[in-house]
Amino acid sequence: MPNRLELSGITKQFPGVLANDNVSFAVKPGEIHALLGENGAGKSTLVKMIYGIMQPDAGEIRWNGEPVVVPNPKAARKFGIGMVFQHFSLFEALTVLENIALGMDAKVPSRELEARIREVMATYGLALDPHRTVATLSVGERQRIEIVRALLLNPQLLIMDEPTSVLTPQEVEQLFTVLRKLAAEGCSILYISHKLHEIKALCDVATILRGGKLVDTCDPKQETSRSMAEKMIGSGLKDIVKPEGRSFGTPKLVVNRLSTLSTGHFDIPVRNVSFTVRAGEILGIAGVAGNGQNALLDALSGEVRSDDRDAISIDGLGIGGMDTTERRRHGLCAVPEERNGHAAVGDFSLSDNSVLTARDRLGMVVMGLINSGAARTYTGRVIADFAVKALGPASTAGSLSGGNLQKYIMGREILQKPSVLVVSQPTWGVDAGAAAAIHQALVDLAAAGSAIVVISQDLDELRALADTLAVINMGELSAARPVKDFSVEEIGLLMGGVHGEAAA
Amino acid sequence: MQFRLEKRREPSRVVLYSAPLIAVLLTMFFGAIIFSAIGYDGVGAVREIFLTPITNSLKWQDLAVKASPLIIIGVGLSIAYRANVWNIGAEGQYIMGGLAATWVALLTHGMGGFWILPAMMVAGFLGGAAYAAIPAFFKTRLNVNEILTSLMLTYASVQLIYYLVRAPWKDPMGMGFPQTRRFASEALLPNIVPGTIVHAGVPIAIIVALVAWFVMSRSVFGYQVKVVGSAPHAARYGGFSENKTIWLALLLSGALAGFAGALEVSGPFQRMVPGFPTNYGFTAIIVAFLGRLNPLGVIFAGIIMAITFVGGEVAQTTIGLPSSASGIFQSMMLFFLLAGDILVRYRLKRVAPQGEARA
Repeated sequence: MPNRLELSGITKQFPGVLANDNVSFAVKPGEIHALLGENGAGKSTLVKMIYGIMQPDAGEIRWNGEPVVVPNPKAARKFGIGMVFQHFSLFEALTVLENIALGMDAKVPSRELEARIREVMATYGLALDPHRTVATLSVGERQRIEIVRALLLNPQLLIMDEPTSVLTPQEVEQLFTVLRKLAAEGCSILYISHKLHEIKALCDVATILRGGKLVDTCDPKQETSRSMAEKMIGSGLKDIVKPEGRSFGTPKLVVNRLSTLSTGHFDIPVRNVSFTVRAGEILGIAGVAGNGQNALLDALSGEVRSDDRDAISIDGLGIGGMDTTERRRHGLCAVPEERNGHAAVGDFSLSDNSVLTARDRLGMVVMGLINSGAARTYTGRVIADFAVKALGPASTAGSLSGGNLQKYIMGREILQKPSVLVVSQPTWGVDAGAAAAIHQALVDLAAAGSAIVVISQDLDELRALADTLAVINMGELSAARPVKDFSVEEIGLLMGGVHGEAAA
Repeated sequence: MQFRLEKRREPSRVVLYSAPLIAVLLTMFFGAIIFSAIGYDGVGAVREIFLTPITNSLKWQDLAVKASPLIIIGVGLSIAYRANVWNIGAEGQYIMGGLAATWVALLTHGMGGFWILPAMMVAGFLGGAAYAAIPAFFKTRLNVNEILTSLMLTYASVQLIYYLVRAPWKDPMGMGFPQTRRFASEALLPNIVPGTIVHAGVPIAIIVALVAWFVMSRSVFGYQVKVVGSAPHAARYGGFSENKTIWLALLLSGALAGFAGALEVSGPFQRMVPGFPTNYGFTAIIVAFLGRLNPLGVIFAGIIMAITFVGGEVAQTTIGLPSSASGIFQSMMLFFLLAGDILVRYRLKRVAPQGEARA
């Protein structure tokens, strides 16, 4: 039997960067094939060429043994290639059925379509009511719409781009069941991810890309997560050096019944949140995106002030009514999730971005004037200590890649030696090497006696990093407990919370 | 062949600073074509408008006197626009500053004293700032668009002049002309170059621009304005209040416009007349953009705009161009500048037609 998909010598050049350099691999029928690599390794570009969004500069695509050209996604779907994107394209105000009907290439009467949808869902155990409005669905349920949409075309190859980044562990398990069933029926699956344990659990073959080149095609079940990670980043992976059995000092950051007002759009406010972080402790806050994380960060950083002065206190001093500048003076620094336009100003030089948050703590302001020399020196230190790839302090923040900008931002806050640091998604979109460096810096800061709060959707990150863990769901925070006392299942249940996903 | 705009990795500094020059050159080029097409001597029009004011040294004093209010107002607007605060009503604030200075001059008529002129200047500052406070209040309290409020207030201020010079402030010896009495000598701006019309407002304009440049490039206030303007979210994270910045930007740009009004009424005009509004406040919008929202650039932009004003008058007498000609040239300049600005962030890239990819 010929290979379902075979790529040979695929090359794609973008201005200034070779996104794919002579990449060749094959996917067999019924195989779950992982495509693994860091951000910017060329995974997305490769997949876009398979799905017809882009054309390769050189090389050949063979489909079931025949050389083909895929001019556009419609042609790809005709061949039997389906794709589920990382970001869904759904209309919130429409029902599941209407959304699927809109995405069909051919017009199918809605009664017939509904029957087919119900059939597909029954076959693969995808529970979903076609008449529900998308706005009322959880992220996991929304993803199912996209999967159903792809399955309606009876695909022979299904491409999944980072499908689990927004799912609870239980939802991930359900997804894997569906994918295994599909594979057993002969549908090939190209699974893009950087989560190694998932790949070990799910995939038969893994193709690893680095810097646009194919590094290795291996059997993930024969590899360790570590060996695959090292192939991915091309060097030895540093472990987080975290002293065991550390003891924590006195309570540093105390949050007592903190609530915020609804801002009226997108984000959920937090209700009655209480927790304590001691000196030297890292508290992880887990949760599915959009459950009040942004409101919590804004309330802690001081961007949104509280009416209750004592809702937040540092070393016993109530800071609830202070703005961000005053809170920084008292030792509380914060890093929001959104890098460009929130944690940093894209149009400004890195040096000017240092002035944004470090001006008081590092004496960059003398009598209302900015000491640009001090800002440049400090920025140079951040760039050196955190291995930020930038031409220098004068580079604009917008010219840095996401991972490098995040390293700069984390460095800018950490080198201020805050006594309390609150960070959201510290390694979101950051490659494994940079993530390890950021994690180590956080651990070192805690070891030096700071209290740290890490808000993240990445459970692996939190389990590696945090000493204690709490879960946020619909704006409410569970009680914090030592991270060792949690099982993944339990975290998942808490994350799913009132969505009722866990029971499904 | 198709072209596509592609985002640059870093904004192009070369384009940023050459765009105003290119805009001026394009304006001259297309200006010549347009005026030729409608039956005038197009090349001559461009020559008279852009070159005569520079080559004829008799016109230099006119340039200086026209440029200084444009520079003072333009500096204020460049600061406001940096903060993303769109004060379009500088003309109204200029008028209110002029009226406030006039009020002081009339009140102190016959008193004498060196303090009268400074008091008029302060009144000009306050008058302009107070008038700009109205859009600031509505913007920060009720989120009313400052473009509309500041622009509409301009027309209200024009009516206020008409009322004042026709009734309460009318010159008793003026033979019925709608104007105030001529200010006493203590209330007149001194001439600094004997034998010309160059008054003290000219060096003041340069000083205002230099001080503003220093404040904007070096101070925390300048930083605050720039952060709020380019990333309001980051500004909040950095500890800068957006509302406070909106107030400061409007008050400061209003105060400078009012100051320019006080200088004009006590300098060239010497009294308040219905013809006091001369669109300096609107032209200064072009000056601010042409000067790249940079106070030093505003000095040059103010001079270029003054050239088109003075040149427009020359062209009226020498080749019979209509008085609106300089307005057309000024608008074209802004148009080309804004169009050229897209190339600061983007570059034109040739792309192959879609069909080729299928081959």
